[in-house]
Amino acid sequence: MHNRMIKRHDQPSILIHWFNAACWFFLLATGLGLISNPALQPIVQWWPKLMRDLFGGGAALLKVHIIVGVVWAGIWLIFIIAGIARYTLPFLKQIMTYKLPRDIQWMIKKNIQMTLGYKNMARMVKLLGWNGEIPDQGFYNAGQKAAAVGMIAGAVVLVVTGVIMAISKVYLSSAQTPLVQWSITIHYMAAAVTFGILLIHIYMAAISSEERPAFISMFTGEVPEEYARHHHKLWYEKVDI
Amino acid sequence: MEKKLAMVIDSFACIDCKACQAACKEANKVPKGQWRNWIKTPDVEAVAKNGKRMLFQPGNCMQCEKPTCVEACPTGATYKDPLDGTVRIDRRLCIGCGQCLPACPYGARYRHPELKVADKCDFCAERRSNGLEPACVSTCPNKARVFGDLNDSGSMVRKLLETGNAVQIVNNKSNTDPHIYYLGDPGAKDWPVKAQMPSAFAFWKNLAGPVMKGFVGLSALGVGAMLVKQFMMPNDTPNKKDEGGNKDA
Ligand code: HEM
Repeated sequence: MHNRMIKRHDQPSILIHWFNAACWFFLLATGLGLISNPALQPIVQWWPKLMRDLFGGGAALLKVHIIVGVVWAGIWLIFIIAGIARYTLPFLKQIMTYKLPRDIQWMIKKNIQMTLGYKNMARMVKLLGWNGEIPDQGFYNAGQKAAAVGMIAGAVVLVVTGVIMAISKVYLSSAQTPLVQWSITIHYMAAAVTFGILLIHIYMAAISSEERPAFISMFTGEVPEEYARHHHKLWYEKVDI
Repeated sequence: MEKKLAMVIDSFACIDCKACQAACKEANKVPKGQWRNWIKTPDVEAVAKNGKRMLFQPGNCMQCEKPTCVEACPTGATYKDPLDGTVRIDRRLCIGCGQCLPACPYGARYRHPELKVADKCDFCAERRSNGLEPACVSTCPNKARVFGDLNDSGSMVRKLLETGNAVQIVNNKSNTDPHIYYLGDPGAKDWPVKAQMPSAFAFWKNLAGPVMKGFVGLSALGVGAMLVKQFMMPNDTPNKKDEGGNKDA
């Protein structure tokens, strides 16, 4: 059987994905650099110092963090609005549609298989009365859908709390400072949760050998037919080749 | 060697004339309704009862050795100046969240109504950079305020401390080791107000911080497990010879 290529991502999706990823790494690095308080800094104490040396002080670091954050959110806003029918709504529908028994089974089986292998997974899920086969998935699998929902929720919280902090010095009164204080804490939490999801996302996409074709498709836009049939069968059966 | 700037204030010499407050406002353009320094007056009735002379307790930011305001700032926008030991505010890094305000037991901080950032006494940093003493010190008609470097063994503040008569006024539960010392019976040495960590800060430090680290740690652990598995079982495939899927799970 010859392995034809199937279109998976178009150019605008690929561009916004990598623009988003670049912004994310930059904002993560500079954001961590803003937390110089030793009681709060989650990684290492020298990171804030390194970032401040790199950008010319804490005030400059804050400035670039805000500027890149605003550019990131602004480009997204344009993409979301301009692409409402073509990208936004179909994507949201895609990631928010779950076939429950199937997707739960997929989540449990896939997680065990990814860490312990097919044989052990089959043995373990037998206890639940299931067979050892991983249920077929659509354009995105259950893990990708859940991750996407988490990342979007995280992004929304980050934007809202980020805007509150950014306008604190311009518009907010002393009576409104509790809002700013909680925004700082919640901004941190949203970034941490998203980062936790991202670790898995990046492992699956860039390191896991099974998903290598998907990684390549995030540049070329195409996946081999064999990959689509194996990993996203319900989608594969619907696309015309 | 770095300096440790401090003040020694003689309560006997203070006559509550408020010249220091006026001079400070003028020198630092302190906005209306706010003060960077103060003079505490004792309870008149208590004084009348025990027949003691009225004593005044002038104060301002104490440039503490262990500043709780700095501990409450996430970004280091308020920080201890490594060169002179004063507690400073970087107005461009400060976003005016106000968490340092209750963190100061002395109430030395306020949120600047126009700039919307934290503000307080910095021992007149601008005047000092021009070789002048803080405005409150220069202006005091009775020379109740002595200003200098505690690390300089020849300084007046150091000599006054060496007399052993100077005291700090601190709250027992949040001793910040202030660098304002008092002579001449300034009243109770026990400061009534405790430093308060704002709830959003305490929540981050005590709960959100560890929980988030745990969450990211678990995620990293999962990635680690998958990595190990990928190396241990490079050819992990489903039992069945087909593509390993079933449609009606
Ligand atoms: C080195 C970093 C990254 C790599 C290698 C990467 C890789 C990929 C790949 C290959 C896909 C397509 C998967 C498929 O076709 O099935 C994808 C989708 C996606 N990526 Fe990334 N990505 C990275 C960073 C990010 C970041 C930082 C975010 C968001 C904060 C993100 C959010 C998404 C989302 C929401 C999708 C849609 C599908 C899903 O949820 O998996 N990615 N990524």
